[in-house]
Amino acid sequence: MRSAARGITIALALALAACGGTTSTGGGTTSYQGKTIQLGAILSLTGAGGVYGPSSKNGADLAVEMINNSGGVNGAKISLDTRDDASDKAQSAQVAQTLIQGGQLLALLGPTLSNSAVAVHPLAESFKIPILAVSTTGINIVPNCNAPSTVPCRYVFRDSLGEETAIPTNIKIYAAKAHPKTGVLMVANDDKFSKDGGTIVTNTVGQYGITLLDTIQFSKTTADFATPVTKALSKKPDVIFITSLGGIPATIMIEARKQGFTGQFLGGNGFNTAKVSKQAGAAGQGAESGSAWYLDNTFPSNAEFVKAYQTKYGSAPDQFAAQGYAAILILADAAKRANLTFSDVAGDRSKLRDAMETVNIQTPLGPFQFTSTHDVKQTVWVILMDGHGGFNLLASVNPS
Amino acid sequence: MTQQVLNAIFIGSIYALFAVGYTLVFGVLDVLNLAHSAVFMLGAVITYSLVALHGMPFLPAAIIAVFVCGLLGLLIEFVALRPLRRRNAPPISALISTIGLALIFVAIVEQATPGTLFSWLWQDGANSVQFPAGTVPNPTYHLAGLTIEATKLGILITSVVLMLVLGYVIRYTQIGRALRAVAENRRAATLLGINVDRIFASTLFLSSALGGLAGILFGLAISDISPYIGRDQVELKGLAVIVLGGMGSIPGAVLGGYLLGLIEVFAFVRFGSNVEAGVAFAALFLVLVLRPQGLFGARLRERL
Repeated sequence: MRSAARGITIALALALAACGGTTSTGGGTTSYQGKTIQLGAILSLTGAGGVYGPSSKNGADLAVEMINNSGGVNGAKISLDTRDDASDKAQSAQVAQTLIQGGQLLALLGPTLSNSAVAVHPLAESFKIPILAVSTTGINIVPNCNAPSTVPCRYVFRDSLGEETAIPTNIKIYAAKAHPKTGVLMVANDDKFSKDGGTIVTNTVGQYGITLLDTIQFSKTTADFATPVTKALSKKPDVIFITSLGGIPATIMIEARKQGFTGQFLGGNGFNTAKVSKQAGAAGQGAESGSAWYLDNTFPSNAEFVKAYQTKYGSAPDQFAAQGYAAILILADAAKRANLTFSDVAGDRSKLRDAMETVNIQTPLGPFQFTSTHDVKQTVWVILMDGHGGFNLLASVNPS
Repeated sequence: MTQQVLNAIFIGSIYALFAVGYTLVFGVLDVLNLAHSAVFMLGAVITYSLVALHGMPFLPAAIIAVFVCGLLGLLIEFVALRPLRRRNAPPISALISTIGLALIFVAIVEQATPGTLFSWLWQDGANSVQFPAGTVPNPTYHLAGLTIEATKLGILITSVVLMLVLGYVIRYTQIGRALRAVAENRRAATLLGINVDRIFASTLFLSSALGGLAGILFGLAISDISPYIGRDQVELKGLAVIVLGGMGSIPGAVLGGYLLGLIEVFAFVRFGSNVEAGVAFAALFLVLVLRPQGLFGARLRERL
């Protein structure tokens, strides 16, 4: 990175941190007074992803409100049009199409699920509208959104920690601590996020001396997890790896504890919401996962976020809220530096995209930059479910 | 393996209880009530709401929920079925209108978060929850390597007893005879002085109360209560069960429920989950080919 640019962005980042994670006036070159930066979001507010989408929306809405209340982006207000895709791939693509063809939006957030991103991101790429993934953590989200094509997608970014980072980091930390010998993988086979997580676990465990005794696939429509759990426990594993969406990780933990399992649960982003921790309750205590965010981090950009979120919503945020919030900060920072014209939408989208590549700000996730492949470069927080709806921090691993 | 047989019997009894309600409506009214899965879900949700949000003990909460689900059955009859029947609409119209009601019921729950219109009923949106710890005592026994939970055992017994009671009512009581008469021939039953509309309403009430109860038991045993448990976890399986057992046959639905539970579990253990649903539905297909009327089907003989 060019040092002058870095100096400026660091100064900006410090300014951001000083005023509580919101962008303020000053530092921008062009006044956007009286303009509106129109953004769209495609989130799963209902369906299997409904565990995550509403948090993303709350986080993003909070950031929009805070930025607008403190002078906007160089004077411009942000507006965010959020649509529900019902966790359905086809509906997600349709909503994206509608939002893009409205013709006014500068950038998009979402979609919530990797499964839907496969449909939506190539669409955004072909319309040349920047899209920032806030919770998609599967394989090949960035840079090659058109996988198996390896041509990098120029307009697709993500601020969510990929499972390719989160799961191996978590396994490494746990292996160093407990030296498990055997594991069983329980993986949902009907969505991309879960299947990718399973692939990553399978490819990782060998490095840490863990033998995978069995891989148990199931459908998210499984009525009673007693059957898969009985099968898993019959192998007597030290560790059960779970990669699945929604309430399923919790349901599996509860069932496994009932059937007498005393070993460790390891997982990924599917664990990282208070809702799953709450549902699992005592059965989930100690379940360990790599997370993009940790509630009780005390650095200013997180402390301010947590406080503002609690004030607005009356409950604690989770990882998905933090990522949604960070996404708006990222877009606001890029917009501020992009010299937008507000008359040429296509040109503005392109300028915004260029500016996103050099974002370097403080967010609740920690110091934030994109890698050259538009992926997130951030600290991994290894967390444990605390048995009553929250998490404790076990370790933090800085990006290499 | 013995544990898996227990698992199969247990999930089979939930399928059976759910499917009995389905098949009852089909047997009497000749329509599929696809809102049945939403009532199943509401049974669990209402009980959870009374216990977790309103501090009620489990048993009265469950009784109220079963009753409310029965009333929802009446709602289905009055809103989705009766107006269409009055107009002699084809059964497919009734099927579609019950799908509509199901969507509305699910949407009400999945949109309910704190501060919204239905937050007294549900506050967790699309999320899964479980009953607060200790809602019902659940001692778990470990015998000879088997895990037996008291709740699951209770559910098994409840299902079996209820199905026996239902069988008795249908076979030996006045209302049961009326139900069967209507199922046999609507017009003849009317001529015999049976109030057909009232029978339809009672059928919906009974069927939905059973569906709601199945939902409560499911929520209790599986620790998974969400707006989608009816639609995702049991709806298609319930349909498979009643086809397997013979449309409209109650013993068929019971047997079909246990059979589907067993087939699923054995397919899972033997072939893995990729084929679990496939094997279950292949068995269904086989039954349909060999015995189109289902195992207990009685197309030409009497129903129920």
